[in-house]
Amino acid sequence: MSSMDNIEPPIYKKNLGTLHPINQTKYFLLKLLSDIGFKEIHGPEIESEEFNFDMLNIKKSHPARQMHDTFYIENKKKVLRTHTSPVQIRSMLESKPPFAFCSAGKVYRKDDDATHLPMFHQVEGIYVDEDVNFSNLKSLINKILFDIFGETVEVRFRPSYFPFTEPSAEVDILSESGKWLEILGCGIVNPVVLNNCNIDSNKFNGLALGMGIERIAMLKYEVNDIREFYKSNLDFLGQFK
Amino acid sequence: MKFIYQDLLKFVTEQPSREELSKKLFQLGHEHEIEGDIFNMEITPNRGDCLSLIGLSRDLNNFYNSQDPYNLYDKDIEILDLNFTNLSVNECPKISFLEIEIDKEISSYKPYLEDYFLKLGNKKTNFFTDISNYISYERGQPTHCFDRKTIGNELTFHNRVCREKFTTLLGKEIKLEGKNCIFTSGEEIISLAGVMGGDSTSCSSDTLKVLVECAYFSPEAIIGKTIKYNLTSDAAHKFERGVDIASQEKVLRRFITVVKEHASIRSLKMKTFIDREFEESYLPIEIERVNKILGISLTKEEYISYLEKLGFEINNEIKIPSHRHDIFSQNDLSEEIARTIGYENIESSPIELKTRSRTDYNNQITEIEDFLTENGFSEVINFPFTANEDKKSILIDNPLDSNRKNLRTSLKGSLIENLLFNERRQKDSIKLFEISDVYSNKDCIHQEKRLGIIVSGRCGHNHIDFSKKLDKNYLNGILNHTNEIPIFNIEEIPRENLKTKKNEKIYYAEISLADIPNNTLKNSRSKRSSISFIKYRPVSDFPSSTRDFSFSIKDIAQYSSVMSHIEKFDDENLKDSYIFDFYLNKKLAEIKVGVRLVFQSSVKTLSDEDIQKSIGNILNPIINIDGVFIPGLELK
Repeated sequence: MSSMDNIEPPIYKKNLGTLHPINQTKYFLLKLLSDIGFKEIHGPEIESEEFNFDMLNIKKSHPARQMHDTFYIENKKKVLRTHTSPVQIRSMLESKPPFAFCSAGKVYRKDDDATHLPMFHQVEGIYVDEDVNFSNLKSLINKILFDIFGETVEVRFRPSYFPFTEPSAEVDILSESGKWLEILGCGIVNPVVLNNCNIDSNKFNGLALGMGIERIAMLKYEVNDIREFYKSNLDFLGQFK
Repeated sequence: MKFIYQDLLKFVTEQPSREELSKKLFQLGHEHEIEGDIFNMEITPNRGDCLSLIGLSRDLNNFYNSQDPYNLYDKDIEILDLNFTNLSVNECPKISFLEIEIDKEISSYKPYLEDYFLKLGNKKTNFFTDISNYISYERGQPTHCFDRKTIGNELTFHNRVCREKFTTLLGKEIKLEGKNCIFTSGEEIISLAGVMGGDSTSCSSDTLKVLVECAYFSPEAIIGKTIKYNLTSDAAHKFERGVDIASQEKVLRRFITVVKEHASIRSLKMKTFIDREFEESYLPIEIERVNKILGISLTKEEYISYLEKLGFEINNEIKIPSHRHDIFSQNDLSEEIARTIGYENIESSPIELKTRSRTDYNNQITEIEDFLTENGFSEVINFPFTANEDKKSILIDNPLDSNRKNLRTSLKGSLIENLLFNERRQKDSIKLFEISDVYSNKDCIHQEKRLGIIVSGRCGHNHIDFSKKLDKNYLNGILNHTNEIPIFNIEEIPRENLKTKKNEKIYYAEISLADIPNNTLKNSRSKRSSISFIKYRPVSDFPSSTRDFSFSIKDIAQYSSVMSHIEKFDDENLKDSYIFDFYLNKKLAEIKVGVRLVFQSSVKTLSDEDIQKSIGNILNPIINIDGVFIPGLELK
């Protein structure tokens, strides 16, 4: 018979908590961009129309302004930012090329249904330098998507429209089910935007990209319903340890 | 926008298959889905010129040679005597009117017109309105038909503040507000210009004489009106995206040919009012610049050929076609070239960023997050909208609803909601935190990054923490242990006003990150480990059931065997299991181990029978060990 003195009590299993899966994905993407050479920058979620729209070539009359369906506050003096691009505008105004910035955070659009939320997260990157071009942008995007989804992922570029980039592209990846999934938007920074930021658009070009963090998280974790992220359900959150 | 495959084929000389056409449309950036003969297009908002058969065919010209298969009415037309006054020439610099009268007999619709209704599921209204709708599909230019007998000879266009009620031709009454572009006849508003005509002047099946209005309205004048008045209008969709300012007379001449194919025309009169001439736009030829933007080596011949086929006229400069409202720079021309070549056909060329500015991810936020998760707290992210309003609240001008009309000034309300939600899901140990910007407004908008922490219930699910409660002492020990003067103000949240029957105490702390001294919340781990993306298992919404068992181990030699079994507990209905009690009774030479089993199914509410069966599967291997008992257990 063993001695009672030799009995070891059960191992103390400390209950660990979890970092929110959206923030985990955000840090993953920011680290990826940082490793490439992008510097993280921050900015406010309450923005002026000037930084959220005008400086980004989204004119007052432009359908994109209506498309965003923006939350206005303080008698239309300010907006809840509809994208993280104004953060880049603020940094570009204080910088001289070459520079590479990335920013991530909450953005807001007046939308609320099964597939759209009034708040979600974006991550964006911008690189401004001489002699950068669309061909370089394709290579950069491929590298990022290979890092996220593996080097075997099939990537497709197709023309799209964003007022702040020209040419603009949307990028799809081929899912296992054979369906193309829209994954990010990118393009050559519109010279109007560079000029607005006091950057000589005849000398410099910019590469820009942006993606929805929820979209990436849903694909990577195989979460089908975007609303799961915001129920604060411990049965859900507890899985992402 | 939907179009019929065979209709588009009429506008190109080559006849691509559906698949070929689909491929090229994608290459050009025109997303779509195909259902039989129907292409359901999603045209980007900058390409209003592609919202028609003729527009799409122009864009496909580099691949299939576009053509206009229809003749326009080419005879002289008598000048219309209409007393038209334009009081807002900026909003409507050009407008044409066609007065047309027909005999009563109207023949059955030609196949192209019939198909427009039949195959695209459009509803027939009356002869003139049907033609107007078809012409918009074919040419991209909306027209509006007034029943001639309902309006006098005086017509005025304004962009003015309106307060009147207006009944649309679909019978919907709207109360006009703010500035609107309108047509009036006498004092009456007869049309919300560019959006929808009025009921009082609309055509019917008896209408034999119409005044067709065909205008260029500036996008700024139309944008937002359909949302404002909750109307659906194809015309507004097109005007918002820009129509061709040079097309109005041509479109009306096409209107005449379609009428002529179906009825005898008694009289025709037309007049165009131009208050501002279309200013032609030009860009310099800069092939090198385009090559530099795209990273390609295009020859001058290729460059000219691509652009000319897209309708650009090239001499010493590049003349931009009147239907292209989206071309302003060499970057825009680069996109035209890139779309024609195909983005996929532009080779990617590696780039090394000249910047090397690694971001430090061991900052205050990551330190706090890592510290709290290591201590069992789970992070939540909440929406900032709330019904609660205080003196500092920022009001949203256009909230989703009255429950979300303010921005929160504290994280407390959201975290209490999160806690109650998890209590309703039978959670008995809740430790949550949120880090978020909070905004308030006193004299100016103030932004502050705050940390909120809430706890209630048991300290943890293990034999040490199970019987301890999450209380003020617990939080003080975690949060205030490094500072002589406590920096976190821990408060008890009274349950009286909360919708809950639970009585466990709730404790809460909130602080601005700026008020947390360095190294206050820092764990022993020096570096955050890299993320691994687990495969998520859908959360069950069925209730869970718990069963507690106390193992009595009298044969000490069997202790390690029992513990090994407990480690490996497995059953399809077992959601969680943990040891919540351990007692070594040296006097009686007995070990007691308390185990909690939590059962939950992803497909149903478990019955007692289901649970008993699972318990049998789980516990049988242990109770068959000599010297191990579970007092009171009866397994079926």
